[in-house]
Amino acid sequence: MLQVAITNYIALSATIFFVGVAGVLLRRNPLIMLMSIELMWNAANLLFLAFARMWANNAGHIFAFLVITVAAAEAAIGLAIVVIVFRDAKNVDVDEVAGLRG
Amino acid sequence: MMHHTMGVDGSYPFLLAVWLLPLLGAILLWAFGPQLGRLGGPLGCASVGLAFLFTVLSWGAGTQHGDGGALGAHQGLVSWLPGFDLGLLLDPLALLWALIITGVGFLIHVYSIGYMDGDRAFARFFAYLNFFVFAMLTLVLSDNFVGLLIGWGLVGLASYFLIGFWFEKPSAVAAARKAFVLNVVGDVGIMFAIFVMFAATGSTGFGDVFAHAGSFGTAALLTVCIALFVGAAAKSAQIPLHTWLPDAMEGPTPVSALIHAATMVTAGVYLIARCAPLWSQSADAQLLVGTIGGLTALVGAILGVAQWDIKRILAYSTMSQIGYMIMGVGIGAYEGGVAHFFTHAFFKAQLFLGSGLIIHALANEQDVRKMGGLRKRLPFAFVAMGTGVLAICGIPGFSGFFSKDQVIYGALEHGHPWLYAVGIVTAGITAYYMCRMLFIAFLGEYRGGVDPSDLGMRHPELAGTTAHDGHEEHAHAPAWYMNVPVGILIVPTVLIGWLMFGGETSPWAHFFAGQFPVAHLGAPGISELATTLMVLVVVLIGIGLAYWRYATASALSDAVPRLREESIRMPAVLTNLFYFDAAIDLLFVRPAQLLGTVFGRFLDPHVIDGGVRDVAAGARWLGALTRSFQTGLVRAYALFVVFGALLFLAYYAFAGSLR
Repeated sequence: MLQVAITNYIALSATIFFVGVAGVLLRRNPLIMLMSIELMWNAANLLFLAFARMWANNAGHIFAFLVITVAAAEAAIGLAIVVIVFRDAKNVDVDEVAGLRG
Repeated sequence: MMHHTMGVDGSYPFLLAVWLLPLLGAILLWAFGPQLGRLGGPLGCASVGLAFLFTVLSWGAGTQHGDGGALGAHQGLVSWLPGFDLGLLLDPLALLWALIITGVGFLIHVYSIGYMDGDRAFARFFAYLNFFVFAMLTLVLSDNFVGLLIGWGLVGLASYFLIGFWFEKPSAVAAARKAFVLNVVGDVGIMFAIFVMFAATGSTGFGDVFAHAGSFGTAALLTVCIALFVGAAAKSAQIPLHTWLPDAMEGPTPVSALIHAATMVTAGVYLIARCAPLWSQSADAQLLVGTIGGLTALVGAILGVAQWDIKRILAYSTMSQIGYMIMGVGIGAYEGGVAHFFTHAFFKAQLFLGSGLIIHALANEQDVRKMGGLRKRLPFAFVAMGTGVLAICGIPGFSGFFSKDQVIYGALEHGHPWLYAVGIVTAGITAYYMCRMLFIAFLGEYRGGVDPSDLGMRHPELAGTTAHDGHEEHAHAPAWYMNVPVGILIVPTVLIGWLMFGGETSPWAHFFAGQFPVAHLGAPGISELATTLMVLVVVLIGIGLAYWRYATASALSDAVPRLREESIRMPAVLTNLFYFDAAIDLLFVRPAQLLGTVFGRFLDPHVIDGGVRDVAAGARWLGALTRSFQTGLVRAYALFVVFGALLFLAYYAFAGSLR
């Protein structure tokens, strides 16, 4: 079976994570931002599984399931907020929606 | 050893009636004053009259000697904190004061019905008078220092109410405030004394405190005596706390007679006589109090010479006579000092009520320069004032003669020759200024129509308003209920002194047997008879001088220019009343105002308010700072999170490299 070095997993995970970070920071469409957050979740999941495999310890798998659950909940809430904001503002540009400015 | 185990065991509920009747009267008059109307006067008189009757009926209980030398009757009231039990005590000293308060008080109440006739606040006046009688009874009937202090404060309050009774007059309000503030100085003194006594004995009851008087230590005993004397001096108008008394003459004349002559101002005499077991063990306190009493007697008499307002003349004479009393009880001549209180209460009340007859008849004129010739217009007032003057001068046979000589001779007996000399000189001055008042007001021609400036009245337009007594300006003939009390008072004024005749065997000495500590004195070099003759000579010189200046045929015929001359030539030191007011103003009032200014202008706005404002400004600044991060831009928040995460990463990377 092909053995892939752990560093490769880490590099891939970091790349995916920073793609997500860039997406959140640079895009103004909330749907894209949610998708970018999803990328970050999954980068973390990848890392959990890689290390679980490396240490032959199933705890990492459990955490991955937990993350998926939480991510699903987050997506549900996030999408609900986006829908409500859209109804109210007829606009989904996050820079335009700044009603909470202090 | 003294026998001062105060109060017989058991109770004497009758005392409660004496004590509470005037309070009941005051409450009824306060609550139903407007409905009572003219009936307020008789009601006020009835409550005090009944209290007097009950006091007389308590005579036997008050003078009884119980087991172990205990004296008088006792009634417990409240037991609460240990050492602070409140109760009532009627012993000869308290009985004497209670008799004067209710007896003379009753006569003055009756007199007030006429004097206050037509006043808008007729019932309120009697409510205050009743309240005063209650407060004064609280003071003298208490068997402990706490009750005494409560009474002490309440009489000050009653005095404040009554001096400021005509509160539309700014001068009356100012006088009331001055009296109250100076009296509170005294209250603080007594409270301080109570603290020291409680610390030393663990009790505030008279009996407990006096039983331990010997174990106080010299310094603590002197401290207690001085603190108590501050209270006595404030209430009894002793130097330098006397300045409120002449101003208190702003009150209605019956008030001056009852409170500022007969009863309240003698509370200091009562206090020192009550605390005789303390004083008799502290020679320093005796010397101090005796000296201040003597000085007050002298200064009051000298100032009496320079007054023109009839009530102010009487006020300074009151101050001077209380000086005698304080001197007497201060140096240990307790029976003499108390005797002078007793006779003074009668003759001074009579003098004040007599002056009230004049003021009432002359439409509120109080300046003696505007009187003159009243002997023919007001013969009854002349008789009343005349007997009063004879009594206060100490003419043999009249009441003042017996008591004043007791005090003066007591000073010599107790080893104070200087005070003895001061007493004799003061007696001469007293005779001079009292006869001056009598001659100017009653002899010669009536000067009511003379232009005030011809009489040397410096501010005729002011003299009119300040001298006047407030209520409506019309002359009236005195009603019978004004004359009768004065007539009744003439009897004791003339005769009561005979109770003190006979030294050790007199009814007076018998009445007080066992009340005061007995001092064993050597016989002084001058006999009592020689002293009496000496005082008499000095008094006659005083009267002669007054006669020569004001009552000879030539003096009466050109009275107007002479009075003008005397008014203008009056030395500044006398018209400024020895600068006591100015000194108090400079030493206490101004610094207090300065302190107020410092607090008001600097400390309060800059430190106290400033502190609060600075805290608020800090919070506002912090709020502005954190608010600047709240842009509302989601991506900015995300950026902060990223930077925060990077900082954590950097920290752990760095910390890891250190390890």
